[in-house]
Amino acid sequence: MMDDSSLARALADDLDGHFEQLVRTYQDRLYGFALRLTDSRQDAEESTQDAFVRAYRALERYPAERRRELRLRPWLYQIALNVVRNRVRRSVPTLVALDGAVGNGLAGHADEQPEAIALRAERWARLATVLGDLPSRYKTAVVLRHVQGLSYAEAADVLGQPRGTTKSDVHRGLRLLRDKLEPELLVEARNA
Amino acid sequence: MQNRQLLEDLRALSKVHTPGRVLEAILDEVGLGDRYASLVTALGPVFVAWNRFGVSAVMKTATGEQFEARFSERFGRSAYPAAELPSGIGDRFDLRSATEFERAVLLKAREIPPGEVRTYGWIAAQIGRPAAVRAVGTALRKNPVPVLIPCHRVVRSDGAVGEYALGGSDAKRAILAAEGVQAEQIQLLARRWRLASGDTLIKYG
Repeated sequence: MMDDSSLARALADDLDGHFEQLVRTYQDRLYGFALRLTDSRQDAEESTQDAFVRAYRALERYPAERRRELRLRPWLYQIALNVVRNRVRRSVPTLVALDGAVGNGLAGHADEQPEAIALRAERWARLATVLGDLPSRYKTAVVLRHVQGLSYAEAADVLGQPRGTTKSDVHRGLRLLRDKLEPELLVEARNA
Repeated sequence: MQNRQLLEDLRALSKVHTPGRVLEAILDEVGLGDRYASLVTALGPVFVAWNRFGVSAVMKTATGEQFEARFSERFGRSAYPAAELPSGIGDRFDLRSATEFERAVLLKAREIPPGEVRTYGWIAAQIGRPAAVRAVGTALRKNPVPVLIPCHRVVRSDGAVGEYALGGSDAKRAILAAEGVQAEQIQLLARRWRLASGDTLIKYG
């Protein structure tokens, strides 16, 4: 697979010839990002589609020089984030879609016990739900840094804020997650 | 909850797979999605792919899956099945993967009417590259849209039918026969065009 800067160069030389590769390289990441932010598979699918179509239209307009210089990863997350935010603003609040809350497609190791897999799946599902309920500022920061694995610098770029702000949003988000998850664990421990 | 465990679990939430229809919808919306359907020709059924630029590929494979595999191997992108060919197919072609020279050769070949043949040398002369006879042969062999761009109507100046991407010289003879050109006529027609082209006139005249 091509690295980011080779892909950017390839897109600069021949957008139509390499755009599918760009989508294939990034679709799971953008879909995963949108899924965590929207908590709905359908919204995530539509946001991913929208984001790539916008990316294509932008690349079409950009001169080759600008395409070549693009840092694709933060740029694409930024587009996806804008799409998700605009959709949320436009849509009437709905019930939280439950299907997206369970981490779909999460595979376990082949040699694991079924109980262990079930327990872990349950833990992930609960984490997804708690994460989905965080205020969007903290949720977005945590998802970028710790779900998608971006560096603080990249995440700050995507969010258009200073690195320090992103860092403190991530830490605050993690603390909120732990606070919400721990009481449940304590209850479990007491009942055991 | 342990911090390390929390961070591991968060990372695990990233492992998702995008449904295949998303890629398909994106490519369709930006006009890069190739669709394909089968078309019955003198050579039996072939698969024809197209996109917003026009017809992008014609290949003869046993199944649609085989066509998809060969298409993505050759062009580096995917083609998805469609119910039927759009009307007016064959008016426009996606020749983006061809060089300028190859495009000139292919578009010249397109001008040869059914029931007739020309020589490789004729094409070379017509596009202003009389010495590039072999390169014309190579360009025609790489024709991404055989049948629709009739590279089968270009034969060797000695009257041999020459190569054909869509199933060798037997297939080439068969499609020419279906257009009313019989094997014995090929030599005659080739000779006529050989004589008509100035540079070979001296040699053969």
